[in-house]
Amino acid sequence: MSSLFQVDGLVKRFGALVATDHVSLAVSAGEVHALIGPNGAGKSTLVNLISGLVPADAGHIVLDGVNLTPLPMHARVRAGLSRCFQITSIFREATVMDNLLLAAQAHAGSSLRWLRDRRHEQPLADTAHALAERVGLLHELGRTAGTLPHGAQRKLDVALALAARPKLLLLDEPMAGMGPEDSERMTELIHRLKADMAILLIEHDMKAVFALADRISVLVYGRVLVSGSVDEIRGNPQVQAVYLGTEDTMAEAA
Amino acid sequence: MKLERWLPWCAFAALAVFPLLAPALGLDFYVNFVRRALIFALAAASLNFILGFGGMAALGHMGFVGVGAYTLVALADAGHASAWLLWPAGAVAGGLVAAAIGSVALRTRGVYFIMITLAFAQMLYFAAVSLRAYGGDDGYNLMARPTFGLGLDSTHEPTFYWVVLALFGGVMALLNRATVSRFGHALMGIRDNEVRMQAMGYPVFRLRLADFALAGAAAGLAGALLVSHNSFVSPSVMHWTQSATLVVMVVIGGVGRRWGGPVGAAVWIGLEEIARQHTEYWHLPLGVLLVAIVFLAPRGIAGVLERRRRAAPAALAADGRPVEATP
Repeated sequence: MSSLFQVDGLVKRFGALVATDHVSLAVSAGEVHALIGPNGAGKSTLVNLISGLVPADAGHIVLDGVNLTPLPMHARVRAGLSRCFQITSIFREATVMDNLLLAAQAHAGSSLRWLRDRRHEQPLADTAHALAERVGLLHELGRTAGTLPHGAQRKLDVALALAARPKLLLLDEPMAGMGPEDSERMTELIHRLKADMAILLIEHDMKAVFALADRISVLVYGRVLVSGSVDEIRGNPQVQAVYLGTEDTMAEAA
Repeated sequence: MKLERWLPWCAFAALAVFPLLAPALGLDFYVNFVRRALIFALAAASLNFILGFGGMAALGHMGFVGVGAYTLVALADAGHASAWLLWPAGAVAGGLVAAAIGSVALRTRGVYFIMITLAFAQMLYFAAVSLRAYGGDDGYNLMARPTFGLGLDSTHEPTFYWVVLALFGGVMALLNRATVSRFGHALMGIRDNEVRMQAMGYPVFRLRLADFALAGAAAGLAGALLVSHNSFVSPSVMHWTQSATLVVMVVIGGVGRRWGGPVGAAVWIGLEEIARQHTEYWHLPLGVLLVAIVFLAPRGIAGVLERRRRAAPAALAADGRPVEATP
């Protein structure tokens, strides 16, 4: 299996704490790779290392043959790696449309153009509409983003990441804070996105993980405990012990 | 919406006819006064482009004004006289120095950014003090105002006034266009959520640097105009207290408001003049005004005006479309 994305021996220390301890994992094209693990396992740190928000102490990150390791965050996005945030990161004071225009603008020519009114740039508006349609926010375009319900704000966060047309999408707990209904809808959305990009999914909602993932890696104390198919992980006694709890919850989730 | 669009034009027209009416009203002296206010309005507008739209609290902006002023002095001293050379040279020098300083300062954030911009501005100040050839501490007297060409008499005070007004209008048009351009939107995005902008692929540092250089160029132009206006420049123009005053103007006018810089400069310089006629301790009433603005109208005077005007179209937005927020 050829892997689109590879992380090799990634290390991050905060003082004496090794938050990420020689993590290696791979994501193949068209695959949803879920990353699970108990609180404090270093999932968010790993996402920040991969996206470039935090510099790694050691290790390599390669996407589609391009070494991302030395690149700053914005250059990684241009290379095809886009991310969402666990704590919704949108432009709350701006309208949904303006949020999407800003995302569209980042990937359609230079943002140093300063003598042309952006309202006259129809292609940007078209891209913004397409993004809204993709995540189901077409009817909320005029609304101030901060006034949207939580579920819709999460969708907007995803839409902002999609504007980059990523090869790999990093989703950091997309279902965080959602009720069952919103979770369901987000699961459907991610399922649709899967057709166009590989996804690295960090999620606590086991129902969603089992519904979406092709492969699962379990992170414990900054290390990858085990990596495998959904069935392998589900049947792994070690994983059940450290993370998934009793067999009853497993059966329930399945 | 309509008023919003017409008010600047009305103000511009009133400013344009002022030198014609001033003699009849016995306000001759104020032609030069308004000209000085326009130059400071330009400097304040350029600072607002960093402070308000870029979200960068820079405390050394008069340094760039000084660079523009001393560039003009250096060229004039070397025998050049044409404003067509001297003023653009001031702008270019201001922009280049801002780019150089920004390339270091923009790697810091928050209080460190304030301190490092302050430190660079003080370095420029002391550099000017040490320029013996241009008078050092005592300053430099410009022998003759730069010539305009085109049959314009540069020694005619109202003519110089109109030239300054035209330049001010031109630069404001450019800056206001920039705020609705891709660049302006990207800047405001960085101001509001820097990490998200990086995560969407924006080269944040480069965009901020461009903003810094652009504002530095406008400030450099203001400096070149200021020395043409005063026929004199001394290092005190770039002292950090002057930069602080410029920040105060922007705060009073409205940080990040389209007309915040000019409105703040006009109010500050106008009130300073009025207060000075009544008391030697004119700092006190202006200080009280600043405190009042910060507590009662944190969006500044331009912000208050904008909001009042926006109340009307808000009621009209019955089709569910949002009323466009003007920056």
